[in-house]
Amino acid sequence: MASRAPAATGRLMLGVRKWYYNLCGFNKLGLMRDDTIYEDSDVKEALRRLPENVYNDRTFRMKRAFDLSMKQQILPKDQWTKYEEDVYYLTPYLEEVIRERKEREEWMKK
Amino acid sequence: MKGIRGISQLSRRFYAAARKGQSLTEPLVGLKLSPGAAHSYQDVHVSKLPSGLVITSLENYSPASKIGVFIRAGCRYETPDNQGVTHLLRLASNLTTKGASAFKICRGIEAVGGSLSVSSSRENMMYVVDCLRDDIDTVMEFLINVTTAPEFRPWEVSDLTPRVKLDKAQAAQNPQLGVVEALHAAAYKNALCNSLYCPDHMVDHIHSEHLHQFVQNNFTSARMALVGLGVEHSVLKQVGEQFLNIRGGAGASGAKALYRGGEVRLSSLSGLVHSAVVSQSAAAGTGEALAFSVLQHVLGAGPHIKRGSGGSSKLVQGVAKATADPFDVSAFHASYSDSGLFGVYTISRAAAAGDVVRAALTQVKAVADGGVTAADLTRAKAQLKGQFLMSLETTEGLLEAMGSQALADGSYHTQEEISKNIDNVSLTDVANAAKKFVMGKKTMASSGNLKTTPFVDEI
Repeated sequence: MASRAPAATGRLMLGVRKWYYNLCGFNKLGLMRDDTIYEDSDVKEALRRLPENVYNDRTFRMKRAFDLSMKQQILPKDQWTKYEEDVYYLTPYLEEVIRERKEREEWMKK
Repeated sequence: MKGIRGISQLSRRFYAAARKGQSLTEPLVGLKLSPGAAHSYQDVHVSKLPSGLVITSLENYSPASKIGVFIRAGCRYETPDNQGVTHLLRLASNLTTKGASAFKICRGIEAVGGSLSVSSSRENMMYVVDCLRDDIDTVMEFLINVTTAPEFRPWEVSDLTPRVKLDKAQAAQNPQLGVVEALHAAAYKNALCNSLYCPDHMVDHIHSEHLHQFVQNNFTSARMALVGLGVEHSVLKQVGEQFLNIRGGAGASGAKALYRGGEVRLSSLSGLVHSAVVSQSAAAGTGEALAFSVLQHVLGAGPHIKRGSGGSSKLVQGVAKATADPFDVSAFHASYSDSGLFGVYTISRAAAAGDVVRAALTQVKAVADGGVTAADLTRAKAQLKGQFLMSLETTEGLLEAMGSQALADGSYHTQEEISKNIDNVSLTDVANAAKKFVMGKKTMASSGNLKTTPFVDEI
């Protein structure tokens, strides 16, 4: 994803990142980036660790997006998720899960 | 064949001859002693840091060391909002901390062959690690992490719920535990009435914040003791100064236990009735508490011979006159820092329960009215001293004794001191203790088929 660009060029890449974010189109269904992440075993474990209110918000957004896609509609423009509002809520938990898995694998190798 | 055997016997004879001049208590000449070899007898060292932390250590020249962190944070310090938090804390000792993940703690301690255990009583919690002498640094790091910097991640804490339920189910198998917990709940209005186990209504409702708050309020330096067996005192002192004064002050103070005297009856289909009748005794460490302990042994505190009939126990003799059914009776004594309970604990068949309880109490009354001879007293004192000294024989028992004493009054009383105190208990002290029980407001807890068991106001 373009948002993985190094922080040093943050200001330069900001315009490109915003353009790409709007191009991806999931914000038109009211979703955040972490709602769309593919659910492999690490992500499932990270989801298990989410606080209840964050998990409920995620479920609501996904349900609304499913409903819209079934009706072949998108949200009105003022309700689209803005680039600045997009919170990567799952990433800290996911990174912790991956770190723990790597620690286990390191230990097994010994 | 015979020749070969003869040659090996010959070499043995030469060797024996060479050693004849050597004394068997002196090391061989030219042999380097390993550092673990016994040298001289060491005393228990106690020191107190300015933060309030008490450090106790004993060098016993053992190849294995034991280090314990004792904290005055037992279940008596639970508030009505967080009942059961100490049960969760006991189970949460292996969870992720700021310095090490749960996986690393488990594998790290296993890798050096050590073990980490946590146990708690109504007054204290103790975290104990043992390991080989050379690996102290590794396990000490984990111990400090667990006691001072736990993270209590919400998902790890909620994963503990099945273990809480398992603990409670196992405790329910043991009728004595049920009766003792019920006894304390009936005897006190606060503090000491809290159970060691999480109450049913709180099983799923203790969260990470409760644990954090309890640790924040109660795991303070002034209420901790660092105890070591087979460790240098200076090493412990350094650890205490550097790591264990994260939370200073005295923390939340516990309420004074208020005795009320009540009754709890737990009916069940069990064929045996367990019943305990107690009254308030004295706080631990006082002369009165020692008198109650001697009285406990005068009356009979359990069999001294395996599969024996408890012949020397006054209670057993008294109850044997009242019933022919199988029974067991012993004196019960528990003392805490500001209160205590003393009484009798009976186990009997459902039909005979009433007779057994009444006979046991009659026997105690007989002691109160002066039915104790000097021979009984000497026997009881010897049994009490024996029980106490034998509990110090194991490293677990010794560590626990050192830690409890460090927490109770910041010092260590030697065996000689305590034996002398036991010897100073007189006949009048014991009779007074028995009178206090007879006169005092009774608390009773019974479980089983209670058709003949009397109520507390009927005895």
